[in-house]
Amino acid sequence: MNFELDAIVIEDRCRSSALAARVIEKVPPHVPVSYVADGREAALPQTGARDPFGAGKRRMVVLNRRSPFLMACPSGSAEFACCGYLVLTLASNCPMDCSYCFLQEYLAGNPGFQVYANYADALDELERLAKRAPGRHLRVGTGELADSLAFDRITGMSRDLVEFFAARDGLTLELKTKTAEIDNLLKVDPKSHTIVAWTLSPDAVFRNSEHRTASPSARIKSARRVLEAGYRAGFHLDPIIAYAGAGRDYGELLDELFDFVPPERIAFFSMGTMRMTPGLRTAARERFSSDPMLLGEEVLSPDGRLRAFAPIRIALYREIVGRIKASAPKVPMYLCMEQPGVYRRVLGAEPPSAAALGDLLARG
Amino acid sequence: MFPLPVFREGGQGVRYLELVVSDTAAIRAWAAERHLPETHLARWLKMAERDRAALLAIARALRLSTGALVTALATLEEISVRESCAIESVLARDPIARIIKGRAGTAPARAKAFLEALRAIRYPRLAEAARKLEAEIAALHLPRGVSVVLPKDLGADQLRVELQAGDGAGLKRLIGALYANTEALAHNADMLGCGEDRLRK
Repeated sequence: MNFELDAIVIEDRCRSSALAARVIEKVPPHVPVSYVADGREAALPQTGARDPFGAGKRRMVVLNRRSPFLMACPSGSAEFACCGYLVLTLASNCPMDCSYCFLQEYLAGNPGFQVYANYADALDELERLAKRAPGRHLRVGTGELADSLAFDRITGMSRDLVEFFAARDGLTLELKTKTAEIDNLLKVDPKSHTIVAWTLSPDAVFRNSEHRTASPSARIKSARRVLEAGYRAGFHLDPIIAYAGAGRDYGELLDELFDFVPPERIAFFSMGTMRMTPGLRTAARERFSSDPMLLGEEVLSPDGRLRAFAPIRIALYREIVGRIKASAPKVPMYLCMEQPGVYRRVLGAEPPSAAALGDLLARG
Repeated sequence: MFPLPVFREGGQGVRYLELVVSDTAAIRAWAAERHLPETHLARWLKMAERDRAALLAIARALRLSTGALVTALATLEEISVRESCAIESVLARDPIARIIKGRAGTAPARAKAFLEALRAIRYPRLAEAARKLEAEIAALHLPRGVSVVLPKDLGADQLRVELQAGDGAGLKRLIGALYANTEALAHNADMLGCGEDRLRK
């Protein structure tokens, strides 16, 4: 991938960190590097910038994280059927720019692309967690507030993570991405403890909405390569966008996937239709006023988010689930941020508990 | 800048053609008269020349309120992006052209019909679902005192049924009517939250 950076800002206390050294070594020579006392200030929105969120994406800040790295998935709620995903925040924001991305609202107050130099502390947190939950199998992902692999060629974090998880039986790492940056992954043996999960969208969504990401075909080809290298591969059809012709396009996308990736080797499919708070919709429409994908037939759901009208989204879910079941009947599927009633209507069963689903997805 | 022909309404239904030298001046004049906020005026002026002129003609013909114009602006912009088409062509479509040309009804009623027509273009599947649900509910011929209320803009998956009775006998009669229509009402509730396959039936 060829992401553009305007600047690198390194917090003084991280000058001698391994991460800072790798970043300085790999960053293109034309990108200026500067040092500041408190990296958090460099992550604040730039005053006067026409698009402060977009500008933040191009300013990498290497700093120490002050708060815990590990947390429950912020999407989780008692209202929804959840998957027991644990989030490890090693970076915040993303060099890619998807028009529907919730980070536009979530990180509006600190949009700088932050990468945490003290990420070894995160591994200590994981170690402590694993000791507190003997016998449980936990799925931990780094792709919630950032793409797990974007800039991995600069930061090299993935190798450390994969090696850490490879040595621990009760922990499964999920690297979630829209890139094709898998070169570092191919150099280490994950011992089946790492799932690389791609968000997949049809070409129409990729072209209109997923700026600076790898094409869907490139993502699928990367999935094939990591499978051959001993990784597990999962796929997030999320957000599913209910535009005219979506059913046909998602079907063709799945056809392409099953042509390249043996269905029996897929770890899971997660699905979720596009949902936006009204605030996110406003922010997204301001930044991407010509994207038709942001203009579906949404209605306000009881949780305060805009979603496609229930009959429209349930029909699309059913079409997609039918296509997956035809080729991959044994692959686990789950819905993200959906009400249990929708879950039942789409998957024909009661949603499992978050702990049970999390365990199932982690064990594979 | 060519003179722009604009229909204006005089008293007693008289319409006349006015040649406006600058459409932007005419739009600014309309905006000033209606206290249209600057941000919305800027969006209007940013439209292609023929688009903004077509909207001005409609704003005048239907005597749109400021709020109605703001709603129309937003809806038209969204339709234009969704369908990759010019706003002028949306305004020339049959349901809207009929409302503009039709002389029946008051200006507020025509303005309301105009906004509803725009909404039906912006949300075609929602509009179709609402139309089918309303038709099915009407076909039940429920007695006065029973109201089946659809969620506003179909924004929820719950159907509300209200009973209004002045005495016990009246209430019994309404409950009996509801009971007799249990299956049909359950079907209506399913249509709000079930698959589109049900809507097609």
